[in-house]
Amino acid sequence: MKFGRQLAAVVLAVAVIVGLGMLWAHASGGGTGAGRALRQAPPGEVVQRLRQIKTGAIRIRPDDGLHLADTGDLIRTCMIEAALAAVVVMVSAVRRWHRRTRRAART
Amino acid sequence: MRGTAVLPHCWLMNAGRATSLADPPVTASRRRILARTRLDFWLDALLLVAFTLAYSLGFTGIAIHEWLGIGLGAILLVHLTLHWDWVIRITGKLLRRDGRERFIWLVNLLLLMSMTLCIASGILISEVALPQLGISLPASFFWRQMHDTTATLTLILVPIHAALRWRWIVGVARRFATWRPGRSR
Repeated sequence: MKFGRQLAAVVLAVAVIVGLGMLWAHASGGGTGAGRALRQAPPGEVVQRLRQIKTGAIRIRPDDGLHLADTGDLIRTCMIEAALAAVVVMVSAVRRWHRRTRRAART
Repeated sequence: MRGTAVLPHCWLMNAGRATSLADPPVTASRRRILARTRLDFWLDALLLVAFTLAYSLGFTGIAIHEWLGIGLGAILLVHLTLHWDWVIRITGKLLRRDGRERFIWLVNLLLLMSMTLCIASGILISEVALPQLGISLPASFFWRQMHDTTATLTLILVPIHAALRWRWIVGVARRFATWRPGRSR
């Protein structure tokens, strides 16, 4: 029962965030796909990318599942996550060590 | 958004040793806390792995990326629900908390917003999952840009969110490493 009530609160919070996103999209005219953003010409980089796809310069991957041989993306994601986590852990450890030494100096 | 109330009970991962006379007996409530700690740990690990895979589009391909993203949304709802008590408690006492707790709260709020918008925008620009369900939405450059931006922001916030609780993670992982299933009763 408690889980149900909390889940309802979470769904409401998520709905508020999505609603705010929709409002933002509506205000900027790009929410439905027929808004201001799409009535304008697409940016140059998008047009260039589309041309590259058409000419075959950029290969679009087939959607037939995992590309186990192509782990470059996965490794890069893991490295970014590991680096950021390491920085946070180090900062936290240093702050903790400082607090301890200060406390030890006081006593 | 880990419940701080669970933190002091990490030692309960070893509650199975209660058969020893030196250790406290395992009560029903302690067993519940033990089960909850395990659930939190594995659910968080699942979220981290699922997000890492979903972000690596070149590895998964678009179909797995989209279905993984939808699944991630469902797990995120459960994760938030399990830690809703923490959200209410910390939000209510935000001004009285120290700087670290306030920073964690802020990171969690940003992460909730960016991950929610990332998943929502991902659904709105879906090229495989929604058409498979017979739903087609008009293409939108706004939502595509939103998806890219929030995905990058989420990639930055997820490791920070996890690392801010590194002592809890290390504590529970250590208990798992020393835990013996045969001694759990």
